[in-house]
Amino acid sequence: MQTLDNFIKQIKMLPPAPRVLGRLLVLLNDPDGHASQIVELISFDPALTAKVLQRCNSAAFGLAGSVSNLDEAVTLLGFNAIYRLVAMSISEELLGASQAGYGIGSGELWEHSVTTAVAARVIVRKVGGEENVVFTAALLHDIGKLVLGSFLEGCRQSVLSQTGSSGLSFLEAEKTVLGVDHAEIGGRVLEEWKFPENLVSAVRHHHDPAQARPHEQLAAYVHLGDLIAHCLGQAQGFDSFAVRTQSNALEILEISPKEMDSFILETDSALKECAGLIRTTA
Amino acid sequence: MPSPSLTSMMGFERKLVIGVGGMAISNNQAMILTTYSLGSCLGVTIYDPVSHVGGLLHAMLPDSSINAAKAAAQPAMFVDTGIGALFRATYALRAEKNRMQICVAGGASFLDQSGVFNIGERNYACLTRLLAQNGLTIDAKDVGGLVSRTLHLHIGTGEVRLKCSGQNADTILFKGYANVG
Repeated sequence: MQTLDNFIKQIKMLPPAPRVLGRLLVLLNDPDGHASQIVELISFDPALTAKVLQRCNSAAFGLAGSVSNLDEAVTLLGFNAIYRLVAMSISEELLGASQAGYGIGSGELWEHSVTTAVAARVIVRKVGGEENVVFTAALLHDIGKLVLGSFLEGCRQSVLSQTGSSGLSFLEAEKTVLGVDHAEIGGRVLEEWKFPENLVSAVRHHHDPAQARPHEQLAAYVHLGDLIAHCLGQAQGFDSFAVRTQSNALEILEISPKEMDSFILETDSALKECAGLIRTTA
Repeated sequence: MPSPSLTSMMGFERKLVIGVGGMAISNNQAMILTTYSLGSCLGVTIYDPVSHVGGLLHAMLPDSSINAAKAAAQPAMFVDTGIGALFRATYALRAEKNRMQICVAGGASFLDQSGVFNIGERNYACLTRLLAQNGLTIDAKDVGGLVSRTLHLHIGTGEVRLKCSGQNADTILFKGYANVG
């Protein structure tokens, strides 16, 4: 079994770009926050700025080729849309690589994460809550897999043999074999990046939202978004459906089970609307 | 391993990808109908070995009553409207219902003690009920379990192939016998 220090060492080796998301979220929610501060924060990273502008000019927004700088982009699309484009760009860079330990191919973890974020946003728009926070927590929910992926490669058979047939979820098998699971490590990653406590907690408990109290609602959005992504087939790899569901996520958000079918349907439509922003592998 | 068809040896095979809530039919013998990302969704292939007409459906949810407008615009989204649409589309190409080879894949299930998130099971239950009402039986299936799936139907041979998440290679779900009749 690995020591916790080994995992933490790995966390410190992750690229620092996502830190900007935590700072942007704070600025977006600050009534005294100023537009120029937000633009300045994004502009600090030229590669990120270029990717955001590229997405602004994609067919999805119908502005083809006309947006040349961030100030213009914010004026045309608004802060919330720009924030989501920043989040998509950063997460693609971060989550795009294949994860052999999980049996996940190139781009698949990112597509799963985007689907989860879009699904969670569909739900929060119905139920009510902070869309950007929900979107971000859902987008980063599996970030712990970046850390555990390399450790899993060496003990994959041991994890797989305990998954499914013996009644354990992949997450539970991770914990049994490695001593930690990807949700717990994901929470630590966001802590390291100084994300707000609600996001840390939602990522840490996305497989068991009730444990996230007082942030159980945020964790419940992520849990349900995650399940919808699985239903839509956006969950490749060994762990695909070896996920334990928590029906109390519905109770926490006061959603009836019947509504899940509609949320799945709406997520599929929402994904098609933003297809131009998502790289497709199929 | 089956021997490769003439079309595959000559490199003429064409793949048509069917998305979530989509369906396609073909009588082009160089065609392979493929669908990725079958999670709790259900993939259904039908194939008439006499007319060499086949079709593939990727239905997302069982019951169209949750959104009648969507069902009218895109019947393949739901099992209850998609199955009829799939069969009817092949009749125009002279396929016959009683000759159809039917294969099913998908309908994965979570570890769900509450039974609340049992979309895959409901999809499959809806399909078997509809097929039974029409006196049809399934020739081969790989349904439920903890995996996502990719499904291929070769129009030239009627062979149906399958790949489950975490696996590197396809397996044969149904060995076609296109030359029957």
